Amino acid sequence: MDLKDIKAILDLMKKNSVSEFEMEQGDFKVRLKRDGAAQAKAEYSPEPAQWIQPRVVAAAPAPGPSMPRAESPSLHAVGAEIKSPMIGTFYRRPSPDAPIFADVGTQVESETVVCIIEAMKVMNEIKAETRGVITEVLVADAKPVEYGQPLFRVQPN
Amino acid sequence: MDTHILRALYEAEHGVSGADLCRRLGVSRTAVWARIEALRALGYDIAANPHEGYRLLQSPDALFAPDLRARLNPSAILGRDIRVLDRTESTNDAVQQLAGEGHAEGLVVFAETQTQGRGRLGRHWASARGKGLWFSVLLRPTMAPSETTQLTAAAATALVRALHAETGLALNIKWPNDILIRDCKVAGILTELNADLDHVRHIVLGMGINVSHSPSDFPVELRAQAISLRQAAGKPVHRASLAAAVLRELDRDYRRILARDFDSVSEEWESHCSTLGREVAISQGPRTLRGRAEALDPSGALLLRTEHGRLERITGGDVQLIKN
Repeated sequence: MDLKDIKAILDLMKKNSVSEFEMEQGDFKVRLKRDGAAQAKAEYSPEPAQWIQPRVVAAAPAPGPSMPRAESPSLHAVGAEIKSPMIGTFYRRPSPDAPIFADVGTQVESETVVCIIEAMKVMNEIKAETRGVITEVLVADAKPVEYGQPLFRVQPN
Repeated sequence: MDTHILRALYEAEHGVSGADLCRRLGVSRTAVWARIEALRALGYDIAANPHEGYRLLQSPDALFAPDLRARLNPSAILGRDIRVLDRTESTNDAVQQLAGEGHAEGLVVFAETQTQGRGRLGRHWASARGKGLWFSVLLRPTMAPSETTQLTAAAATALVRALHAETGLALNIKWPNDILIRDCKVAGILTELNADLDHVRHIVLGMGINVSHSPSDFPVELRAQAISLRQAAGKPVHRASLAAAVLRELDRDYRRILARDFDSVSEEWESHCSTLGREVAISQGPRTLRGRAEALDPSGALLLRTEHGRLERITGGDVQLIKN
């Protein structure tokens, strides 16, 4: 099966308003899913690119019970994320013996500093930019982070 | 008015007449004379004679804002507003506060001493009263947060040029931007960024330069690793002249960065970076990486060949040079 075949299947799914398609052939497995939003948008520009999350999964030699699945993000209620504006090193405290800026359960305001990202001795104090409670710390102290990488999850309130 | 008088005195090789100063400043002869007397009281040695007019023989080794401004090009971005504090907790904090109040870029705050001067991650920075240049600069460049690391390199190259021009000393850069004489630290830079995900609100560039210290002016634990320009050059270094040189060179590099000419800054930075080729230990929080500093990548990150043979891209941490 190649990209052309997948496009053909997607076209058939669209034509017949099929929302999910799954196929297994030896070691090869494909699962395609359309969601409501994509369907609505498809009216405006019907290229296959509109079909979100077609994910081709090559089955592992000994597949475990949890195959990677193409899930709709709407299934997660993730709240807001605080992301890194730059590549650098993530620090949870202003100095090694100071208390951490913010932890799970900390109530933050938009101006609350939650961590420092250091890149080549530029110290960037990251502010929450949102009001809420931190529900998850996604990076360990003093670890490298990428641009746009989520650092904290926040439940807005 | 002091800035204008001092600028006229600096520009005039053979003195400037009282009449000339009156015309340029639009004030009376008596007013000029009163200001000259006030400058003399501050320690400026100004000669006056009927033929040459006023001539500046010597300026005191003090930081006086109108004097610093007089030494800079009036069109410079850096130093549009200069303030000299006798003492403050940290000049970075002083500038952060003014930045929060909406102050324009180019502001420079000096302090004769800092009670809580700091380096990276809250480390104490010793700021002996009157012995160094302890100051911070406010910048508001239109750039993405990730591009601000270019200013790290620019600040280092500007310092190397200014310190060399004023002292003739050979200086080098420990990645990313400590300034060393041999392996001793003579100047440090701490940059604090205030940004959202896509754009910079402001940057505070803090600098500490050890100028006139004798060994006993440094805390005991620093004496083996720190050095002053005076110690290294074996002669006094004029702080105001040095401060103006640093601001002029910083202004030049800041303009290079704003004009998107990072390549020339980066080339100069790399040519002075003595860390390359050295064995180093880099601590990032609890972990320490050891290896050989091989090269800089195009963004300025350090490429470290670890003791296990892997190539690691280093953007932060505490770099320690291992003695050969």
